[in-house]
Amino acid sequence: MRIAARLAGLAVLLAIAVVVPQVINSPLSMTMAVFTLLFAIMATGWNVLGGYTGYISLGHAAFFGIGAYALTLLGQHVQVSSGYEPFFLLPVVGLIGAASAVPLGIITLRTRRHVFVVLTIAMLFIGQLLATNLRDLTNGSTGLSAPAAPWMGSAFNPPFYYAALIVLVVAVAVSWWIRQSKFGLGLRALRDDEDRALGLGINAGLAKLVCFVVAAFFIAIAGGIYAYFQTYIYPQVVFDPLADLAMVLMAFTGGVGTVSGPVLGALLIEPAHEYFAFTYGGNGLYLILYGTLFLVVILLLPQGVIPTISYWLALYRQRRQTGAAGQIGGQVTPAAATQRERAGEQPIEQPPPGSRAANQ
Amino acid sequence: MKAPSVLARSSRWFLSGALIAGVMLGVAAAPSQAASPAAGPPIKIGFSVSLSGDFSSDGQAILQGYRLWAADVNSHGGLLGRKVRLIYYDDASSTTQVQTDYTKLITSDKVDLTFGPFSTLLTIPATAVARRYGYAFLAPAGGGPLVFQQNFHNFFFVQPSPVARNLVSFTHWLLTLPKSRRPTTAAYVTIDDPFAKPEVDTARGILSRHGVRSVYYTVVPSEVTDFQPMALSAAHTHAQLVVIGSPGPDLSIALINGFKQQHYNPKAIIATSGPDQGKTFSKAVGLRNTEGIMVPEGWWYGAKTYQNTRFISEYLRTYHGTVADISQDTPEAYSVGQVAQQAVTKIGSLDNGKLIAELHRGTFQSVQGPMRFDSAGRPQGESFIVQWRNGNTVPVYPAQYAVKSVEYPKPHWH
Amino acid sequence: MDLIYGAIVTGILTGGVYALMASGLTLVFGVMDIINVGQGALVILGAYLAYALEQHLHLDPFLSLLLTIPALFLVGVVIEVAIIRRLKRDRTMLSILVTFAVALIIEGLLTLFFTTNLVKIDAWYVDNSFPVGSVYVAYIYLFGFILSVVLLAALWAFLYRTKFGQGIRATVQNRTAAELIGINVARVETITFGIGVSLAAAGGMVYGAINTFNPVSAYDLISRLLVIIILGGMGSLFGALVAALFMLIVEDVTSVVWSPVWATLVFYVVLAAVLLVRAQGVFGKVATRRQ
Repeated sequence: MRIAARLAGLAVLLAIAVVVPQVINSPLSMTMAVFTLLFAIMATGWNVLGGYTGYISLGHAAFFGIGAYALTLLGQHVQVSSGYEPFFLLPVVGLIGAASAVPLGIITLRTRRHVFVVLTIAMLFIGQLLATNLRDLTNGSTGLSAPAAPWMGSAFNPPFYYAALIVLVVAVAVSWWIRQSKFGLGLRALRDDEDRALGLGINAGLAKLVCFVVAAFFIAIAGGIYAYFQTYIYPQVVFDPLADLAMVLMAFTGGVGTVSGPVLGALLIEPAHEYFAFTYGGNGLYLILYGTLFLVVILLLPQGVIPTISYWLALYRQRRQTGAAGQIGGQVTPAAATQRERAGEQPIEQPPPGSRAANQ
Repeated sequence: MKAPSVLARSSRWFLSGALIAGVMLGVAAAPSQAASPAAGPPIKIGFSVSLSGDFSSDGQAILQGYRLWAADVNSHGGLLGRKVRLIYYDDASSTTQVQTDYTKLITSDKVDLTFGPFSTLLTIPATAVARRYGYAFLAPAGGGPLVFQQNFHNFFFVQPSPVARNLVSFTHWLLTLPKSRRPTTAAYVTIDDPFAKPEVDTARGILSRHGVRSVYYTVVPSEVTDFQPMALSAAHTHAQLVVIGSPGPDLSIALINGFKQQHYNPKAIIATSGPDQGKTFSKAVGLRNTEGIMVPEGWWYGAKTYQNTRFISEYLRTYHGTVADISQDTPEAYSVGQVAQQAVTKIGSLDNGKLIAELHRGTFQSVQGPMRFDSAGRPQGESFIVQWRNGNTVPVYPAQYAVKSVEYPKPHWH
Repeated sequence: MDLIYGAIVTGILTGGVYALMASGLTLVFGVMDIINVGQGALVILGAYLAYALEQHLHLDPFLSLLLTIPALFLVGVVIEVAIIRRLKRDRTMLSILVTFAVALIIEGLLTLFFTTNLVKIDAWYVDNSFPVGSVYVAYIYLFGFILSVVLLAALWAFLYRTKFGQGIRATVQNRTAAELIGINVARVETITFGIGVSLAAAGGMVYGAINTFNPVSAYDLISRLLVIIILGGMGSLFGALVAALFMLIVEDVTSVVWSPVWATLVFYVVLAAVLLVRAQGVFGKVATRRQ
């Protein structure tokens, strides 16, 4: 019964998402909606690696750039008539991103977690460097023009919106499937204690690489849609450390390690981000707000919105069940935790937010 | 960044001031039709400028040009009898911000006309947005070949010539020199920019074919800020000619200062931009060190072009200084206003479709001379070479524009 | 050939400055197990402070260090107490994210006050140069190097000749044991972080006199610093010094021999190569447990 209720809820959400472009008139708002969807895809993809395995990549936006250039370069060989042709290139774009992720993943995943993070930062800058300097391929800083969409005026945004929505649905489905599979169980073991997981016979190296590549796949597709949407791409724009950080922030805000968390994070943060960037743009206030937001989320809501909310909900239900005496002291019982965990809301075996667990 | 309300406020003061003045004049003067504009709603003209970032000095100069033109129009009866109101945003020299800005100007602020930002780099994405909504796009800067390759029917580049040919004039002059005096070697340093690089590549091709050996050629990515290694390497080649491709003034200024430091004195230096920035340039390298440096330009303060004297006196009254302080960008922006004004007045409406057709059809006068555009927006004129002499810039080539002859070789650094 | 000698000389001289900036970073990691990704932004902050003092008060940049070094020490202490100390679990990972956020805030503040226009610190020793072979090297490179040597020597003396320094070294070796013998580890951490940031001030002043910079320069800078400390082995001061000198020489030589734009790539290529062979960096310790 619970499953039916959840499916009904998802159907409603999907219906709303489909209807949105018919209701919104302003091209500016539609542009914002498209960007929100793109970030939701990126955050969901990133979460497969960062959330499920605990290997925080601060450079996966490099695959966004690779995807953007892949679509642009492939698009030069495609005849655009109806305008939908470039969308059919997206799976190829994703595969290109995934293929480039394999060697990068092999090199970077060998190291300890914090060295891994630093290496991924380097990965992003190397991507930007290559895009800027391999001028014969990418035209360098001058930028490259993607296929021009034939739609004019306010008819321009909806096709991109729907394309991004479809990709997002696929990404979320994949993310959900991984999470509730045996593979996902192995990932959680890996995240909590890698050596022990190895001891249990889990092929940690392969598991991490798979997640690394899956994340790259979806992020690259987002980059491809972006390139077609913007019509022009430049190395410093598609290999952008701020977009990279935004992706991570959204996953953290919504709830790292959950399925819906990254999407919620995108819905919360991207409109705010667009508003700030637009109103304050060049003068730095927007960076300050962004950084502060990030700090607040990490320090106060380290689990993210969804797990924190479900923790509070569990706490509330617990108190109602056990009465005002507070015998259990407000701690969520293991049984309740497991149930919620299977429903995809709270990462298992993480100490509740705010507790003083031992310094690792 | 200037939010639109700041300008709107000052515009409102201007408007109310003008209205009060108009009413008083109308009361005091004869009851016949006065020259003051009728009280129709103001015509909104939207654009973005780089008020911060890489192109900020050029962006400020462009803004000055637009403002001078708007003030001029409004004090001479307005456009179609209505006041002109400028609505603009800071694009922070960012290619994404510029797209957002123009989308907002067109769909949210509902401007009647769009003018262009600074640089080819920013103009390309901006034009795409304008095209999506059918707006004519008049650009003061942004004449790199990449723009024209797009064949945008709504695009008009308001400078005498498409920039790719800017340095060709210079190569012509160089090849008029007897072989014994000509530079035998050349160093080329350019930013990887759609405005600067094509110019430098064109010049390099021509000169190399005619016996000037290219001993140094480097293309610098646009986000590099440290130009010392390039200055060092170029200086080390002892090339007799240096050709600099810089979209903004930073590269040319840094290289010239680097050459000074290395005591390297080539016989001639020409840059695609930088030395045309008036005070920005002379202050950065030192006035005495500007001597002999050349740059292609489309406007000169001494030229007898349409409204040029009026433009200069308005500039000096508003911003003070001397004519040598005026950056190229300001008359370029002013020209955009002039061309728009003439075209709109001719067709008597603000309909962008009709405006685009008229702009393709007619010839228009500006402080840069007469303007005519082909189907892709290419202007059909040519630019000339200007050289710094005694703290001022003068045209030196070709002969029909030259006020002095070219000073060659360039004197040593001070 | 002259060009290469010139490149080696500037490589050594700038390597010293980078060693100064990186030493703070690697020391903080050694003591606290955290990676301060905001070090790049803090260096640029130091550069802007020196620039502002020079522009408005006409204070010589080297003299301004008397003000900027303590100022940035305080900034470091504030950051550590207000933010870093609040991290309880998963410190290393979260510290990366948190210091990245701090870097963004600093970058935003600097953009707000100074805009993104490129600036450079001005002084007689920045424009004037002395000959090295047939190449001219600006005096600032030499003075900056001397400054770095002096400060690094002072750091060394502090660590190895004072009681507090001994406490720092004890904490690096074994945190729990240090606590057990009565060392105030919390204070050690705060002071160490402060020192790390104040070294950024000094490095920043020299950086700002050698390069034109704006707030965005922080990204490139932190990438290099991170590469240097990983290469040298995180936690090893000596490693940071050697790595800084090595990388800067390689980069400057590549810049003149091949091209300035590919020189930055060489940075990363060397890193990848070293890590493939020796995952803990040249002078680093092997991880006992893969966590």
